[in-house]
Amino acid sequence: MIQEMAKDVVNAKERCMDAYEKAVTLQEKLNDAITLIDPSEQLETLPEGGLFHGVPIALKDNVNTKGILTTAGSRILSNYVPVYDAEIVTKLKKEGAVIIAKASMDELAMGGTNLTCFTGPSLNPWDTNRMTGGSSGGSAAMVASGVVPMAIGSDTGDSIRKPASFCGIVGVKPTYGRISRYGIIPYASSLDHVGYFTRSIEDACISLQALAGRDDRDMTSSFKEVPDYLGLLNSDMNGKKIAIFGNVQDALTNPETKEMFAKLMHALEERGAKVDVFYFSEELMKAMLPTYYLIANCEATSNHSNLDGIRFGVREKGDSMEEIMINSRTKGFGPLIRKRFVIGSYGLFEENQDKLFRKAQKVRRLIVNELNKCLGEYDCLIAPASNDIAPLLNDTSRDQLSDGYLIVENHMVIGNFSGYPSMTVPMGFEEGCPIGVNLTCKAFDEVTMFNIGKAIEEITGYKDLTAEVK
Amino acid sequence: MEYVATIGIEIHCELKTNTKMFSGAPCSFGRKANTCTNEIDLGEPGTMPCVNMEAVAKAIEACTALHLTIDPLVKFDRKNYYYSDLPKGFQITQQFHPIGRDGYIMIHTSEGEKKIRINRIHMEEDTAKQFHLTSKTLLDYNRAGTPLIEIVSEPDMKNGEEAQAYVEALRQTLLYLGVSDVKMEEGSMRCDVNISIAPVGSNTLGTKNEIKNINSISNVGKAIEYEIKRQKEILEEGGVIHQETRRFDDKTGETILMRRKEGNVDYKFFPEPNIFPIRLDENWIKDIQANMKELPEERKERYAKEYGLSDHDINILIGNKEMSEFFEEVMKSTKDAKNVCNWLLSDVSGWLNKHGETITTTKLEPQNLAKLIAMIDDGKISTKQAKEIVDDLMEGKDPEVVVKEKGLEQVSDTGLIESLVQKVLDENPQAIEDFKAGKDRAVGFLVGQVMKASKGQANPGMVNEILRNAIKERI
Repeated sequence: MIQEMAKDVVNAKERCMDAYEKAVTLQEKLNDAITLIDPSEQLETLPEGGLFHGVPIALKDNVNTKGILTTAGSRILSNYVPVYDAEIVTKLKKEGAVIIAKASMDELAMGGTNLTCFTGPSLNPWDTNRMTGGSSGGSAAMVASGVVPMAIGSDTGDSIRKPASFCGIVGVKPTYGRISRYGIIPYASSLDHVGYFTRSIEDACISLQALAGRDDRDMTSSFKEVPDYLGLLNSDMNGKKIAIFGNVQDALTNPETKEMFAKLMHALEERGAKVDVFYFSEELMKAMLPTYYLIANCEATSNHSNLDGIRFGVREKGDSMEEIMINSRTKGFGPLIRKRFVIGSYGLFEENQDKLFRKAQKVRRLIVNELNKCLGEYDCLIAPASNDIAPLLNDTSRDQLSDGYLIVENHMVIGNFSGYPSMTVPMGFEEGCPIGVNLTCKAFDEVTMFNIGKAIEEITGYKDLTAEVK
Repeated sequence: MEYVATIGIEIHCELKTNTKMFSGAPCSFGRKANTCTNEIDLGEPGTMPCVNMEAVAKAIEACTALHLTIDPLVKFDRKNYYYSDLPKGFQITQQFHPIGRDGYIMIHTSEGEKKIRINRIHMEEDTAKQFHLTSKTLLDYNRAGTPLIEIVSEPDMKNGEEAQAYVEALRQTLLYLGVSDVKMEEGSMRCDVNISIAPVGSNTLGTKNEIKNINSISNVGKAIEYEIKRQKEILEEGGVIHQETRRFDDKTGETILMRRKEGNVDYKFFPEPNIFPIRLDENWIKDIQANMKELPEERKERYAKEYGLSDHDINILIGNKEMSEFFEEVMKSTKDAKNVCNWLLSDVSGWLNKHGETITTTKLEPQNLAKLIAMIDDGKISTKQAKEIVDDLMEGKDPEVVVKEKGLEQVSDTGLIESLVQKVLDENPQAIEDFKAGKDRAVGFLVGQVMKASKGQANPGMVNEILRNAIKERI
């Protein structure tokens, strides 16, 4: 779709204005944007050509845009106008992309519901009584509702891949270092990835083509050459070795999801793939979520120490600098964020680091070692992205210590622990709402990931799915 | 009771690099506030650090000069704390893997030479500068992110003199390397002193106090001597020394309590996730080490060998790097090292002090000083005459021209001196009698008369020689 749009130069202006108007209309129903941007000005200075020439896109609101409000979904940044563009913004603009929205997100990208944004929850385009998932929920909703063909997200635990599942679209988290993080308001630096949503695998290929590459301002970005993803796209499954994530499959409680997944695996086999079940140590599986929370919260508490109201952001009154900082931080963050900062800080105390933060990092290595074992033998690790479709907005019934929650709802964090490429593709529908399947491949092997994704897309026929928002 | 002090010193030194430690903003001193910053220095959301390899190279030079073992795997850590001068809410430093460990420097004091061990050198970034006014605080972020090295000594010093010598030796070494401006008054070199005292022979150390904000090398000595006295008095009165952070007030010469330490602050150090460990190429390190500038100790050896100067003269010359470099410039046009050194350390230095200038700010040309010394050595002018034209010399004038203009040229014409001598001898028969009677000072009198007759322009050496011969002929 992106390719066709970029070629259709004549209609660029109309297309972008239409997208903007659609976004304005849907905003009332979905609340999926924090800032809507009238594209008129950008359209006047559009460069010639480019992979995204005249293609309307949305950015998660933790992507810095020079001169345009960037809040990261947090009250403390609700007046923050960046002085510089994120690297990917520069790249996308060079390719001719037109930014029409800064999308809603969970506060500071922490959370999986998109209920914690300071502008309120964003709603699922397939069923507005349901969540989009988070933290990149606004971006997912804008792609799923057909406003834009591509939206940027960020993924620290599964913040792209979970909402992609709930919104019936493709959600890609490429390899750590593949896309520059410079100018993305962070959550947890060692787990943070920039990624995106599209409605087809082709669009996913083109998007990565435009976004990937070394950036000297992000020392963790890779020097590896960026392959021609679209040119290399090939859905032939002959000889492909696929490992079903056994622990996740066993923990599924939803029979519909189970059956849907089994059918998909069978279809991949019929296309010539060799499909086996691979089991991780159950202990490590159960340790995944606590390990994730510790590392993420520890890094987050440090990363967000700059949000003190002194140089930027909302400054509260106080009699001293210290008081200003304390008041600004107390009022500027939601309760969930404050809780996470306390946990992170506790984990970093010198007397706790050995038994908490450093231990979590050791467990992280053990988990990655297991994944390496699996991907040493297989091209891809595959599992449903969730047990169920998107939860209802008022659903607080989850038992956070059940196997279902610990494993089924959080297994995708393995892609963040390892940094390996991982993506969610639509798998099917239950009660008129979508649910996705997740694949994780070897480091920098996005090509294989797209190829398997393409085969799945062909099997399900879910390409360019758009929700009719009621 | 006799007490012994145990002193360790931490020195922060700004590295002289073009850009900051983790950002591309320029490093500067004295520029308009907040003009040398970018989004990284201000800790704007989304920014990421990028290691300045020029700073790493300078740190390697410092480590090498101070004999530390270099860790070729460079890693950085976060030191987390909230303070208004710390934009990110953490400082990027090297807590767990400093770039260098276990070195030393030699110091010279009245008790001779001593080795002071250096525990570690690590790289980090500077904070913003604060100006506290009565109703508000101003922040200048130009300094934020400037590369620093922190040099941590072992507690090997016993008194103010040693501490002062240590800081001076470090200052000299870093200055000669060219890695830092090392100006304590401008804050490009900052010194924190840790000091405790204990009774002589005691196996346990006393309670440590830290003295901050010492703004000159001589104040390092003063602060320590004051602190030793203060602690001694407390102990002798049966008091208890608390662990404190104090600052030195150079107006009163006293140390003043800033805060008491209640246990150590937890900085929650952890590895910086945005900088992967950097494996330094062995050849890159070797290349840096091979191209290092001459160190003070090396220069001392060279001066003794090449120029045969005394240790005393060498130490004074080397103590002033610019003077030492000027000395070498002069030596390109002369071989008389002893006289060049004397002139620089006496007449030239005297003139500079009097006029509030330095050797780099004057118009004095190295060749002109060499020329002047050659003119003395060749007997063209007397030392006394030379001293008369110091002002002209310092203003950049050619001594040959000045001497001509002022008609100061020394008379070395044998015939002319001969005739003056005969005239003086004719006029002073009594002096000849005195000489005969063995009164050698008569010669001095006669020389004086000849000089007077020549209006001071006769070559005194020649006058002396000719006069003696002439007297002998008359006896």
